[in-house]
Amino acid sequence: MSGAKWDVAVIGAGPAGLAAAIAANKAGARVCLVERESRPGGILKQCIHDGFGLVRFGQKLSGPEYAWRDIQLAKERGIKLFTDTFLLELEAREEGFVLTLQNSEQAVFQIVTRALVAATGCRERSARQVFIHGQRPAGVYTAGTVQRLINIGGHLPGKNCVILGSGDIGLIMARRLTLEGAKVQGVYEIKAEPSGLTRNIVQCLEDYNIPLHLGATVTKVHGSERVEAVTISQVDENLRALPGTEEYVPCDTLVLSVGLIPENDMLLPLGVQIDPRTGGPAVDQLMATGQAGLYSCGNALHVNDLVDYVSESGEIAGSSAARFSLGKPDRPCHLPVIPQGDIQYVVPQKLDIAAGGQAVLYFRSARTIANASLEISAGGQVLLQKKYKAVRPPEMERIVLDLALLPPGTEELSLNLRG
Amino acid sequence: MTEKLNLVARELAKLGLTAVYPREWRRSVVLEGEVDTWQQYIAAGYAAAGKGYKGVVNAIKVRGLEQSREYLPPAQGGALEGKDYDVVIIGGGVIGCAVARDLTRWDLRVALLEKEDDVAKQTSSRNNGMIHPGIAASSGSKKLAYNIRGNRMYTQAAEELGFELVRCGSVVMLGKSMYQLALPYVRYKALQKGVDGLIPLSRRQVARREPNATSLQRGGIFLPSTGVVAPYKVTVAYAENAVENGAAVHLNTAALGFAMEQGRIIGVRTNQGLIRAGAVVNAAGVWADKIAAYADDHFFTIHGRKGTIAIIDKALGATQKSVLALPRLGVKSYTKGGGLNPTVEGNLLMGPTAIEVSQREDWSTTPEEMEFLFSRHLSLNRQLRPRDTITYFAGVRACTFEEDFIIEPSEHVPNLIHAVGIQSPGLASAPAIAQDVAAMAVEILKTTREVKPNPTFNPERRLTPQLAKLSLEERGEAIKKNPAYGQIVCRCEAISAGEIIDAIHSPVPATSLDAVKRRARAGMGRCQGGFCTPAILEILARETGKAASEINKGRPGSQLLAGETKTGGGTRT
Ligand SMILES: Cc1cc2nc3c(=O)[nH]c(=O)nc-3n(C[C@H](O)[C@H](O)[C@H](O)COP(=O)(O)OP(=O)(O)OC[C@H]3O[C@@H](n4cnc5c(N)ncnc54)[C@H](O)[C@@H]3O)c2cc1C
Ligand SMILES: Cc1cc2nc3c(=O)[nH]c(=O)nc-3n(C[C@H](O)[C@H](O)[C@H](O)COP(=O)(O)OP(=O)(O)OC[C@H]3O[C@@H](n4cnc5c(N)ncnc54)[C@H](O)[C@@H]3O)c2cc1C
Repeated sequence: MSGAKWDVAVIGAGPAGLAAAIAANKAGARVCLVERESRPGGILKQCIHDGFGLVRFGQKLSGPEYAWRDIQLAKERGIKLFTDTFLLELEAREEGFVLTLQNSEQAVFQIVTRALVAATGCRERSARQVFIHGQRPAGVYTAGTVQRLINIGGHLPGKNCVILGSGDIGLIMARRLTLEGAKVQGVYEIKAEPSGLTRNIVQCLEDYNIPLHLGATVTKVHGSERVEAVTISQVDENLRALPGTEEYVPCDTLVLSVGLIPENDMLLPLGVQIDPRTGGPAVDQLMATGQAGLYSCGNALHVNDLVDYVSESGEIAGSSAARFSLGKPDRPCHLPVIPQGDIQYVVPQKLDIAAGGQAVLYFRSARTIANASLEISAGGQVLLQKKYKAVRPPEMERIVLDLALLPPGTEELSLNLRG
Repeated sequence: MTEKLNLVARELAKLGLTAVYPREWRRSVVLEGEVDTWQQYIAAGYAAAGKGYKGVVNAIKVRGLEQSREYLPPAQGGALEGKDYDVVIIGGGVIGCAVARDLTRWDLRVALLEKEDDVAKQTSSRNNGMIHPGIAASSGSKKLAYNIRGNRMYTQAAEELGFELVRCGSVVMLGKSMYQLALPYVRYKALQKGVDGLIPLSRRQVARREPNATSLQRGGIFLPSTGVVAPYKVTVAYAENAVENGAAVHLNTAALGFAMEQGRIIGVRTNQGLIRAGAVVNAAGVWADKIAAYADDHFFTIHGRKGTIAIIDKALGATQKSVLALPRLGVKSYTKGGGLNPTVEGNLLMGPTAIEVSQREDWSTTPEEMEFLFSRHLSLNRQLRPRDTITYFAGVRACTFEEDFIIEPSEHVPNLIHAVGIQSPGLASAPAIAQDVAAMAVEILKTTREVKPNPTFNPERRLTPQLAKLSLEERGEAIKKNPAYGQIVCRCEAISAGEIIDAIHSPVPATSLDAVKRRARAGMGRCQGGFCTPAILEILARETGKAASEINKGRPGSQLLAGETKTGGGTRT
């Protein structure tokens, strides 16, 4: 079953994968895109609100509009797109990666590629993972499922909703449900701070008078057929429910927006190293994982809050993959990037100094800090300093570093964030 | 007062239950009166057990306690009015379904009534899925006899019905103090009980077999006959094969009473009309005492014993091969102690717990039960951590106070058979119980007519492709024959549209999201249905010709949607 040969194959035709495929194609590689859904665009297909593309296009676009641009470009450039195609097996062999795929037309088939870009996006944390007890009635959905039901299916999942977790998708769905005539009782967040962007708190909750309750969580779901109510409890500083604070809130739907998990299950058999802080593979600034020829980008690499940076990481991954495949890569020479102080994580986790040029670093703070300062240093030397009016965990920061600044013989680079 | 009744009265007095009055009724003892707490109700029931009566009927009222709620299907009307069957089975759990299938070996008109929207909705889908070796059942009990026989019969049942059975064996570990004392006794008991193939293990041998086993163990025994199955799949398989061989399965149909004539049942009253019956099998699980009461044959009371089970991520499935348990001294044997067992899908199950509950259909879980599981069983396998739990659920065992199965023709109604009090190891015993119950029904029918074998009986269930079980070549062939197998809907478990469509058009059709889940595993993976729920909803609507807003998660009334959006309706994918 030895199949067609490609220079670069991209798994996932969301914004990351589309950008990667286009960049690889521009670099002269023969590229194919593999997508398990019927249409390209990834999660953007269901994100019909606007606010996408401010950085990349200088315009406020809806998700489908944003994706449409790359989809058109990919079409014009003749990039092969397999839709409704599912990856069954992935194997690393001498001749490259062998992908066993299935779809309705070609049944089971294989392709072989020198370089592979994993742009598989992320999935949502489920109800059971946040340990909600009670029976299991209908009407408990993740925010992404609600988004898909409403925006793609044209279905209204419920009329009286409680939202657990203040992630961005949950905030956006609070507004969307309200616009569809549903009542949103409130958003309950276990932590002391919301996890979504400030912009979304203002535009999706405050503008619609939807209350946000911090330090509170759902401890029980009531109802045997359909959700009838939830029990809300206040929590202590260890996030444990405080007895005696229970409140019974009638509702017919519980929407969960309790976190996204990068989807990298397909990489596990290859033994790719996953960074426990991001949930994605550890990469260098070229988006190269530890496995030669394998690149990662978008939400599979780490959960982004702006799609513009998703596309950026895709472009980097795509052009790096093309360079690898077309046989022009320099031997990598890696040094680790060490997060210090109040940094939650940094991507990339290492730098390939042989590649030279500039490196884009993305990081998040571990807590909200006013007047924070970032210091990037190597070999005892401070290379770059930056002041921030405020840093917040929901808001990813991006900084560009010129590798020429690195002193010779550098063994590691550190990022230190302080209040 | 008889000697026996005196004994009961004295026991009750010892418990200080002065407002409880025992009396004899037929060959059973009936408890009446009032108590303050549910615990007292349970204690009274056990005080009357083991005194030589056929059964304990516990009719004591508990002050201020709500009666157990019972789900009844909302459907009304006469859709089944006047239907006429030779045998009507009440209850579509593993017992009822297995009985139905065994009855189709005969040329009989067989019907199974299930009040839920699908078979295997109650205890038969809420258990550990273990085919026990028989060591835990007490000597001389029906539990023991049926368990040993049932365990042996599972190999053939799995082959014929095409469900997965993995004989993973169990390692029963013995702790420090128990080891020297217990081993010879355990071996003697196992031999006497007829448990197949016991192998004693030293501490080192346990460690070699199960390298991640707790360091508390001081050796143990290996019981190779222990197996695991997916219990809902077993139940569905029996039901499907019964239907293929001519039986009728009526879902959303509750038995609400009997029409009797001269002491015989002539019909079963249901919410869908009166169904005529030559003989009736009571396999109603936690409600079996209610069914018996409809025929004035209420010689036992069922009470619920809830068990909570946690599911451990597949990623840790490979850390243990066999069932692991470490029984503790002083733990009543009926709790079975629980432990960690593999599943046919590659997860591990932890539990169950055992707690007497007054609500028979309350399957909710509590944080306390989970804490208990973690503290009790997690350390049996040293690789496990609480965060490895992906989900959890609870089931309710149908227990009599005598703690044994009741599998017999009624002593008072000539055409009624009871298969009740089927708590653990009821799943393991099911093939044997079904064989006997079917034979009892045939005996009853033979008193009034001739009963011939079913000339077209086919013990083999027709199987539709399960892609996960196929080689790449076979998978390719299947997709070429039916392109719907090429389209993956549930990405976590890699389940195709074709498999979901097969489930919807199977002999016992899946009409709800949960029913699809049980048959095809769609939505049971890591994302717990987050991505595929909308897609399965659309397929269900299309295949059943309903609007999406009419599709239920499970029972009627569990609609997944509240309606359409302002511009909505229909799919625009
Ligand atoms: C449910 C959900 C809702 C969101 N809503 C918003 C929002 O409202 N606003 C916002 O700013 N951000 C939102 N986000 C964040 C959003 O995901 C990112 O901004 C961006 O879409 C990420 O792009 P991506 O290409 O990395 O991933 P995705 O857009 O998720 O694309 C990944 C693609 O890969 C495909 N794929 C994955 N695995 C395989 C495989 N094995 N084989 C073949 N194909 C595969 C998927 O089908 C998908 O098309 C949301 C995220 C989720 C999960
Ligand atoms: C936590 C737990 C773990 C267990 N683990 C194991 C194990 O590992 N191995 C093992 O062998 N056993 C185990 N058991 C026991 C096993 O699950 C049961 O013995 C078995 O499922 C009983 O099957 P059943 O058909 O009698 O009951 P059920 O499956 O409860 O079926 C009875 C059916 O009757 C229906 N019904 C009731 N009243 C009416 C009515 N009026 N009209 C129509 N229908 C009606 C109900 O809806 C139900 O579907 C366990 C049990 C529990 C609770």
